[in-house]
Amino acid sequence: MKMIRESFGIKMGSLILCLAVSVLLFVNLFPFYWVFISSLQPNLEILTGRTRLIPSNITLTNYANLLFETAGVTAFRHYILNSLKVSIAVALLSTLIASVGAYGLSRYQFYGKEFIGRMLLFVYVFPTILIIMPAYDLMAKLRLVDTHLALILIHTTLAAPFCTWLLRSFFDSIPGELEEAAAIDGCSKWKSFLHILVPLAAPGMLTAGIYAMVTSWGEYIFVLVMINSGTKKTVPLALAAYMSHVDIQWGRLLAGSALNVIPILVIFLPLAKIFLKGFLEGALK
Amino acid sequence: MEYSGLKNFSSLFKDEVFRTSVKNSLIWTVGSLALQLIIPLGLALLLNKEFKGGALIKTVILIPWITPVVGVSMMTRWILEPQLGLANKILLTSGFVQQPINFLGSLSRALPTLLVISSWQFIPFGTLLLLAALQTIPVHVYDAIKVDGANSWQTFRYLILPMIGSMLGFVFFLAFVWNFNTFSLIWITTKGGPVNSTMTLPVLIYRRAFKAFNMGEAAAIATMIGLFLVIVGFVFFKYLWRRADY
Repeated sequence: MKMIRESFGIKMGSLILCLAVSVLLFVNLFPFYWVFISSLQPNLEILTGRTRLIPSNITLTNYANLLFETAGVTAFRHYILNSLKVSIAVALLSTLIASVGAYGLSRYQFYGKEFIGRMLLFVYVFPTILIIMPAYDLMAKLRLVDTHLALILIHTTLAAPFCTWLLRSFFDSIPGELEEAAAIDGCSKWKSFLHILVPLAAPGMLTAGIYAMVTSWGEYIFVLVMINSGTKKTVPLALAAYMSHVDIQWGRLLAGSALNVIPILVIFLPLAKIFLKGFLEGALK
Repeated sequence: MEYSGLKNFSSLFKDEVFRTSVKNSLIWTVGSLALQLIIPLGLALLLNKEFKGGALIKTVILIPWITPVVGVSMMTRWILEPQLGLANKILLTSGFVQQPINFLGSLSRALPTLLVISSWQFIPFGTLLLLAALQTIPVHVYDAIKVDGANSWQTFRYLILPMIGSMLGFVFFLAFVWNFNTFSLIWITTKGGPVNSTMTLPVLIYRRAFKAFNMGEAAAIATMIGLFLVIVGFVFFKYLWRRADY
């Protein structure tokens, strides 16, 4: 009798688990499916409320219209190029700054080291909305308002502290003996950083770079404040502007959202594991 | 620039909109913290088992968290759209409602709706963090406490809670910052309306600074929020953060 009850309990347990996982996956993924599948249906059907869960005919017209037809100042493909330009620059710059900073935090002992380490996370307490005014002022003084360079600098400022935090835990997990051995063989600090630490921490650096890129690709507030010209907008700002039109062109808008989200998923998901590991090492240590 | 003393501050306290935003920010932060700590904790406890596809699921549920905010806002608007949206179609055909619900355009519904969306984005991430903390507890410790005769509640209270305490603190901190600072989601979907019902402090700062061009007042609000957050951050790093202990 007891055995029956126990096996029943296990069955109930796995049933509940199965149910919970299904609900979780559905709630997480269905909205994405719905937006994507809607974006593949003709604009007319979307606007007349005949969007289907499983469409009978699939069309790429929304994407073609979005990418090649000029709406306002320029076509959407232009914004994608802008976004790519800014986010790749941010990824490279943040990784560079973060790896040097993390190296210092990981390999040197100095007064206030732990304090600085904590500050890297503490800065995220401040709402970005608090720094838009001083940042705008600063950029105005540097005559960088309405340039992509301003966005690159600001997005790097947003991403680099977290990248440093992430990379520090990667550097910490690489034993210092390797560099000591290299130093005995006459290797300089700089060379051992480049030839020993960097290759070993490559997954970490890739993760940091991708994090920076994702941050920049989706960032909205600073682009909203800094960019005035229609031709210099990035994808998020362009989409938000399309959305505030009186007659919303849902077909194009949905295609645009898909183009905003899909690249992020494609480059981020394969690295999600490393990202999570780096994040947790930083958080739990 | 003219020195205006504390005028910007004193005028704030007489400002109706400012009081509304403080109230909304409080509701927003407390409400979302409750959702975003309890649900992930429950989910993490439930998922803390070996099962097929577990690794894949852990990757897949990160998707909402990395989705850019404009994408999330767009999905929100599309699904909740009163005439064309899927949510209303389902509600109408199943007969729960007679009239389509205007989720984002109603005074009483806009804030809770956005709160759910914001939590939707954070919950998977919080779950993963708590799950990772749970997995640091070795299996034999569970067996040991069971032999000692502990029931589920006691196991949770005296084993699990102390072991994941610092991670719970970390998730609390992340969620606090994430929610208190939410601007883009609200701005893109409702712009603080209808009639200030989703006006939180970050949205108010943006409005005052870049729509009303009243930099002085915006800076005054920003200063107050800044001070408040420094205090919260200080308390967290001083008393809850335990990096050095490990």
